[in-house]
Amino acid sequence: MKVFKITPAELDAMIQEWSKAHPVYAPALAKQPAASPDCAPGWSRVDGNAPLTLPVGPPPASVKTFFFPQPETLLTYTLENNHPDKGLMREPAKSQGIQVVVGVRPCDARSVLLNNLPYQEDPFFQANRQRTALIGFTCEQTRSTCFCTQMGGSPLGSEGLDLVFSRTRDGFIVEVGSAKGEALVADLDLAPADESEISALAARRQEEVKASSTELDTLKGRELGKLYDAPLWQPLGESCINCGACTFICPTCYCFDIQDEVVRGQGRRIRYWDSCMFPLYSLHTSGHNPRGQKVQRTRNRFLHKLKYFPDRFGPFSCVGCGRCVQDCPVNIDIREVMTDLLAVE
Amino acid sequence: MNDQSTNWEPKIIAFLCNWCSYAGADLAGVSRFQYPSNIRIVRVPCSGRVSENMIMSALKSGADGILVSGCHPGDCHYISGNYFARRRFALLSNLLDFIGIEPGRVSFSWVSASEGEQFAEVVQSVTEKVKALGPASRLVKKIDALETALQVA
Amino acid sequence: MPTINETVSEEIRAQARKLLEEGTVAAVIGYAAGSLPMTVKPLVVRSPEDCRKLIWNTFCVLNLANYLPATLKSVEPPRGPRDPKPEGPLPKVAICATGCWSRNIVVQIQEHQVARDRVVVMGVGSRGMVSKRKVQALFDGREILAVEEGDHELVIQGADFSETINRWSVVRDNCQTCTHPDPVLVDVRIGEPVSERKNPNPFMQVDALEQKSGDERWAWFTEEFSTCIRCYACRNACPLCYCPTCFVDDAKPQWVGKSLDAVDTGLFHILRAYHCAGRCTDCGTCETVCPKGINMRMLTKKLNKDVLDLYGIEAGMQPDAPLPLTTYTMDDPQKFMVAEPSAVKEGK
Repeated sequence: MKVFKITPAELDAMIQEWSKAHPVYAPALAKQPAASPDCAPGWSRVDGNAPLTLPVGPPPASVKTFFFPQPETLLTYTLENNHPDKGLMREPAKSQGIQVVVGVRPCDARSVLLNNLPYQEDPFFQANRQRTALIGFTCEQTRSTCFCTQMGGSPLGSEGLDLVFSRTRDGFIVEVGSAKGEALVADLDLAPADESEISALAARRQEEVKASSTELDTLKGRELGKLYDAPLWQPLGESCINCGACTFICPTCYCFDIQDEVVRGQGRRIRYWDSCMFPLYSLHTSGHNPRGQKVQRTRNRFLHKLKYFPDRFGPFSCVGCGRCVQDCPVNIDIREVMTDLLAVE
Repeated sequence: MNDQSTNWEPKIIAFLCNWCSYAGADLAGVSRFQYPSNIRIVRVPCSGRVSENMIMSALKSGADGILVSGCHPGDCHYISGNYFARRRFALLSNLLDFIGIEPGRVSFSWVSASEGEQFAEVVQSVTEKVKALGPASRLVKKIDALETALQVA
Repeated sequence: MPTINETVSEEIRAQARKLLEEGTVAAVIGYAAGSLPMTVKPLVVRSPEDCRKLIWNTFCVLNLANYLPATLKSVEPPRGPRDPKPEGPLPKVAICATGCWSRNIVVQIQEHQVARDRVVVMGVGSRGMVSKRKVQALFDGREILAVEEGDHELVIQGADFSETINRWSVVRDNCQTCTHPDPVLVDVRIGEPVSERKNPNPFMQVDALEQKSGDERWAWFTEEFSTCIRCYACRNACPLCYCPTCFVDDAKPQWVGKSLDAVDTGLFHILRAYHCAGRCTDCGTCETVCPKGINMRMLTKKLNKDVLDLYGIEAGMQPDAPLPLTTYTMDDPQKFMVAEPSAVKEGK
């Protein structure tokens, strides 16, 4: 793996260079329209002319939106009678080039790998993965709501990133994580990093590994029935208002629904985000709803992340970014839920 | 697609109550009063039946204008349906104006079963207003616009 | 010397314990301490021992009336959908309520969602609740790790700073313009009553926007609601929204599309606000819970203003009066109607 070093000024020049050939996105600092025509919600197009500034810890919007857009058009069609395409459903034209996402935190990069597990055979997710390059920045500082080290991640992690920037005294060292990352730096004349800095980073990573906790892994061996019937869900479900805020800001919530929309004869089949917090989510055509009560829906969200998903795929479906902890209107804190779950007899 | 340059004619959805305004429209027809052919009538039992959802849905689907018409106060077939409607429409009309929907896009009127001529005049005036405003663009859902958005992203 | 809210907390705990021990109520709806600074958790207490968890502070921003109908249902003896109503009085529920929340309880009573004789209102005069977002905005991205609350100031602490700010300056907009901070229903009084506030213009923000041109207002509307992620927190946190199926969830016909389309999002917000017309007490919960900080309160406030101007009614102030949209007068204003052309011609 190649490792380079660059200065902050060179970083901006690099973004300038990329933005000539590809759309480049960075976390939006100001208010960013969710449905703005050339942007993903919470991200803004950058051209490197202004210095890149990143918030501490994960940015408000996760990278989920690049892989799993809200909404994604699957097919388009027309209902006009004399149209040559009448009766045909076509896939919308997709842009061919890659998009570069700058300022991705290690937790978000891991979320893409986790979502990839259930989406292994999903052509839309895979196509988006192929055309998206993630440029990561390891976390020098974390927020009090960050808990990636409990979820198997690390603030210095490099998993899932195409290029990884880590702060040094006078700039960054840049690790190349993939062929996509390599292509992005191929034409740039970069100096190799100093051995001392590479080993210093490796040493810090070692320490992070030591500091991380695997306590939660014991949940994987627990009997599901006991966790399911635990008394902790009742008060939790009672205070939950069943909004979809946690699921929509969560980088690892990946549920969707599909619908046809027709406006004045023009139709499209879209896939849009759904939330297990919504009563419609599990409603059957018969009218029966297996998760008809609030407490059942709240329980489902946490058990899916902490039990069903790991039982099926291995890792937990949570990266510990802390977004839901910060934004839950009724302060349901997944860290407390995990503690309570571990305490279930 | 609506285009002002090519002799654009607005489409106006008219929700008419069965007992007064719809009969008024009928009388206008029977009496051969001329009025613009821009309106598309939806017959409803009472102006009180017209919910804000229907009005907004018509706007979203691309109606250039909307007219809701019922019995004169005091004449409601159901005694008080139009009184309740009047309160609701007053608030809706103000709210739409507040968020910047052009005044005149959504109109309300009272027309009785015997007012064929008045019906023609109301439609005339509503159509003129909507024509002056041009094609509706606010709160009109467009699918093509989104398509381009997705392609760029 | 304890702060006002510490005294209130103490009284809430004592009264809740008393009500539960006496068996007057089966549950008490209140707040517990949150896991982060400036947050609290809504909590339903069912045993006297758990009353120690109850707290009251200046960050109690979520409207507890939202939990009232479900909690009342939860304390009823379980019965099937076809079983007859049990005889005798049903268990009661106590709820902490400020001015606006108590008015929401009144609306719930008017709308037959809640039976007056089953609710024990623990009335707390509101001193205005602090907006977490306003506090965070003062510190420009620096993380706040602890907040100490005094009666008139807040001490904000982070990793490398500690600053004292004036409490009123960060109180939510709706609390700053509130005229009825004291509960309208009180069964158990907690703390000192708060006097009505004389506010020269409670609709200041609405007026300012009304002064602008239609195009400017449209620009405001599109910009303000553009960040919505359609999580429906505003709807679900609202004590007025109790429909079994919300209009956004209707499938036939589908009034509003499901994805992030500016028109669908706009329609959702217009119709949500409109459905609160004549019922909204401006408790500000919708705005507070929004993860994107959208000011959807502007729409409900506009409707509140019109309802007051046109019909002279403030929601939830009179338990015996009908709601503004369930009643009418013969001569309600109708200036918005199309002027009858013949009348105009004849110069009437």
